[in-house]
Amino acid sequence: MKPVFDPVTLAIPFFILAIILEIVLTRLKVARAHYETRDTMASLAMGLGSNVAGLLTAGVVVAATLWSYQHRLFDIPMTAIWAWVAIFLIEDMIYYWFHRLSHERRFWWAAHVNHHSSQHYNLSTALRQTWTGGIAGTWVLWLPLAFLGFPPAMIAIQKGISLVYQFWIHTEVVGRTPRWFEAVFNTPSHHRVHHARNPRYLDRNYAGILIIWDKLFGTFQPELDEEACRYGIVKNLSGFNVLRVAFHEWIAMAQDVVRHPRHALGYVFGPPGWSHDGSRDTSMTLRAQWRASQSAKHPDAGVAGDPST
Amino acid sequence: MPEGFAVQFAASFAAVAVLVGLAAWARIAKPMTPLDDARVLKLLAEEFPGRPIERVWVAVDGRGALAKSGAAALVLCEVGDGYVARHIPWAQAIASSFRDGVVKLDLSDVAAPNARIALQSWPPPSTPPHNRQAA
Repeated sequence: MKPVFDPVTLAIPFFILAIILEIVLTRLKVARAHYETRDTMASLAMGLGSNVAGLLTAGVVVAATLWSYQHRLFDIPMTAIWAWVAIFLIEDMIYYWFHRLSHERRFWWAAHVNHHSSQHYNLSTALRQTWTGGIAGTWVLWLPLAFLGFPPAMIAIQKGISLVYQFWIHTEVVGRTPRWFEAVFNTPSHHRVHHARNPRYLDRNYAGILIIWDKLFGTFQPELDEEACRYGIVKNLSGFNVLRVAFHEWIAMAQDVVRHPRHALGYVFGPPGWSHDGSRDTSMTLRAQWRASQSAKHPDAGVAGDPST
Repeated sequence: MPEGFAVQFAASFAAVAVLVGLAAWARIAKPMTPLDDARVLKLLAEEFPGRPIERVWVAVDGRGALAKSGAAALVLCEVGDGYVARHIPWAQAIASSFRDGVVKLDLSDVAAPNARIALQSWPPPSTPPHNRQAA
């Protein structure tokens, strides 16, 4: 559903210019970023493909949203400032839970993993978007907004604003922003942690625009100077084929279900890495192993910066 | 497909081509140097924290490594300007085919189906373990 004012379409020239700037400034040694050609190609091809893939389910999403709006509880005016403040906060919280679900349950992780599959963290990574999000059905989480009475165009605009905001935080060029900003907003520093595969950083900082949701729901982890982020996924891909990027987790999940039909629910809706015999690692077990290895190295010290210690 | 979308898609496709070309021209990938024992141990410690390493075989071209850790083989492979790591049963690793100086390991993973590591010989003759600990 694209409103007349579509923030994402309007921002595309900005996306392109920002990537050009990040590459050129790095080339001139003014900024610090890394771009690997095939990785960049995969990220941008995923972004391009996600636009096409979105068309496949757009009809269903639009119909469901309009149906919800037709059965709305209230009439919320699109012209009221309070309505924009309200949708900003509610949509951002919905985004947090969508994002958390997309990391903590394998079915939705299968649709989201591609965004994390690059071992780089640069502005092109922001565009490494899902091809299967529509099929995964997480758009259902936004239907209550229409049911509440927010006009569908307003919902689409706010979702667009959130997506555009999240573009600029995919960079290593920006270090840390002023403390007040870091305290309230999602920033490059917070989001670097989210993209990191260090056990300490796994499944942290799900925020869209406001980092307050992570602080509220116990998933916030600040970036630590003593632990540089290592990007990618726990089991990185061995190539740059976009079909593998887009579908590898779906295929792996299907294979697990076929091999272990009695444990199908666990393999589909359990956390990523779950296995019926405990032979694989989830984020939780990886963090526990890491914590144990830290304790073995420094028996008298706590694990600095780990909110669970 | 609406005409507006087609125009937008074509323009985006052209932009992608320009950006990929720019990234190739800039040569700003992470600097990669051939692996050595110390670097392999460091990478394995990051990938498999706390796992004891008994012995390491670094690829002759420095682009991968194999390590023995108990009943597991830890595999490290260069991909682009990064690395991919997996563990497989040791018995499976030593049974892997070795041809033209390359051992081909079946990783049984859709995300990383196999690994090729250039070694002088494979499988190794049984030797006493070094009992090294990942740093």
